[in-house]
Amino acid sequence: MAETQQVPVTVLTGYLGAGKTTLLNRILTENHGKRYAVVVNEFGELGVDNDLVVDTDEEVFEMNNGCICCTVRGDLIRILGGLMKRRDKFDGILIETTGLADPAPVAQTFFVDELVREKTRLDAIVTVVDAKNLAARLADSPEASEQIAFADVIVLNKMDLVSDAEAAALEERIRKINRFARIHRATRAGVAIADLLDQGAFDLSRVLERQPDFLEDDSHSHNEDVASMSFAAEHPIDPEKFNAWISALLAAQGQDILRTKGILHYAGEARRFAFQAVHMMADGDFIGPWPAGAKPASKLVFIGRNLNRPQLRRGFLACQVEPAAA
Amino acid sequence: MSGLGEADRLLRERGISEHFGAFVAAAAWTRDGSVCACALGDGTLALADAAGFRRVAAHDGAALALAPDLGPAGFLSGGDDGRFLAVAATGEITEIARFGLKWVEHVASHAGGCRAAAVGKKLHLFDQTGRAQKQLDHPSAVTGLAFDAKGKRVAAAHYNGVSLWFVASKSDNPRRLEWKGSHIALAWSPDNDAVVTAMQENALHGWRLGSGEHMRMSGYPAKTQSLSFSRGGKFLATSGAETVVLWPFTGGGPTGKPPVELAGGDGVLCTRVACHPEHDAVAAGFADGLVVLADISSERILPVAAPGRGAVSALAWSADGANLVFGTETGFAARVDFTKR
Repeated sequence: MAETQQVPVTVLTGYLGAGKTTLLNRILTENHGKRYAVVVNEFGELGVDNDLVVDTDEEVFEMNNGCICCTVRGDLIRILGGLMKRRDKFDGILIETTGLADPAPVAQTFFVDELVREKTRLDAIVTVVDAKNLAARLADSPEASEQIAFADVIVLNKMDLVSDAEAAALEERIRKINRFARIHRATRAGVAIADLLDQGAFDLSRVLERQPDFLEDDSHSHNEDVASMSFAAEHPIDPEKFNAWISALLAAQGQDILRTKGILHYAGEARRFAFQAVHMMADGDFIGPWPAGAKPASKLVFIGRNLNRPQLRRGFLACQVEPAAA
Repeated sequence: MSGLGEADRLLRERGISEHFGAFVAAAAWTRDGSVCACALGDGTLALADAAGFRRVAAHDGAALALAPDLGPAGFLSGGDDGRFLAVAATGEITEIARFGLKWVEHVASHAGGCRAAAVGKKLHLFDQTGRAQKQLDHPSAVTGLAFDAKGKRVAAAHYNGVSLWFVASKSDNPRRLEWKGSHIALAWSPDNDAVVTAMQENALHGWRLGSGEHMRMSGYPAKTQSLSFSRGGKFLATSGAETVVLWPFTGGGPTGKPPVELAGGDGVLCTRVACHPEHDAVAAGFADGLVVLADISSERILPVAAPGRGAVSALAWSADGANLVFGTETGFAARVDFTKR
């Protein structure tokens, strides 16, 4: 009940010049009958055409909770709190980040702050990438791959500047980094609003709703800085073993593991257990039963740096009640 | 039923109230104690004298901050329209400054002649005529603001600590009180020796200005949004727990001393506190809308308003302690008379 009153928040990331502001203005001017509060950074490229625009400095700070990668956006905590004082004036909130922004502090803000969690929900992180310059950006800046890694939706923009073959190669590269994002090809940020908003990407009940691409990427030819890996377990999972393993793993490698999503089949449990994490900030709960006719099976996806596939697989499979023979 | 009706007796018999349907962001009294105001999320101010409330259009957006002005009969108001206003008790509005897209998030004044507005990383000081005096820069956004009792210094909370500025100084080098993390509210003790902040991590941090000693107060289940020193500075009352938590600031406290906890038992978070200006008593508002007055030494609790009108989001005593104003997130506001009859 309370959830329906939470204001949805969409975060737009992307490199300078990728088309973020164009996409933002496109969302705002589309005839959808909804009103948005827009939070822009002071280095915004173009004007934003909207009644309610908030100008902010991105202020990231580290939580004093012993977790070195737990950084949050203090300015957003204040602004979201302030906007809640006039919440009848808009239906949703759009946050545009600076080109060089790491999306993690924005996402973590929604895990850490109680009032933000109570009144708003992070709907999705939308990343706009420039098809023409993506390869160069991936080569010269870690933020570019982070923005792709954190994305729930990727707008592959400026398609008019690349060939079909180039576009296919770009999509493949994006897939290596992030296997569960939805990719939309676009020119001048022309994407249907329905593909951007109301995605429920951080809604536990929709975690891995769309099957990630389970391509086995044993070819390390590309050697991306950030990569994603998926694992499946056939036998039921022991919740205690899983909790112990994932807690220790995120505590030790949470700086490198950007996002984790999983649907787990706990032994003796008819409902699915959904799990997600941004770096070390984790969240999990039981969601509905397995779809009729589907064989319960557990899946776990990691996106991050320096992921050790055999080690992760062994660790995950060892959480099974009857571990498969190694 | 009769219990709740009884809890509303003070409000019914000694209060005037109205439902405005807009978030009450802040409440304050004029220095002469004659008129109170509530800053509302629809940009209006609701002013009340003993006869009743009336609305004044102030901000194009939400009113975010409110404080007594330096004169006897006015307020200072800040909004998300970037305007910093002087509002007379009569409702007449004078714009002191305008800051574009930036929000005016904190305002304060001292009767000695200084007005302050926090806008992003800057603290702007103005004199009584509205002339800009100073712009003081901080490493990050200012999240709390208070003058010392004499009006000589102003304290601004921000990331990693607090900056103390001498209002009349020519050099403008602040004294920095450092503590890593995000400080989100601030109070200055009546004897001017202690500055305390609330932090993002559900804890308080404090500094003794004389000795430089640090103080840490923790154990809160939620963020402290409201801090108030008791009249003589014996206690610091705080929100953020399911009781009113009062830290003793005498006899070597608060370090190593347990806090006094009042008005608990309902399992509901305390959201606002305001110490009485004349007696060792504290008014407190809760997330369910309950407002009480608690006597600190006897621990007696006097209900002021029953639960059910939205989480209490603003609470303030008039300077003589004769009247209390409170407001809630759903837009209920009331002025209650505590004078002897």
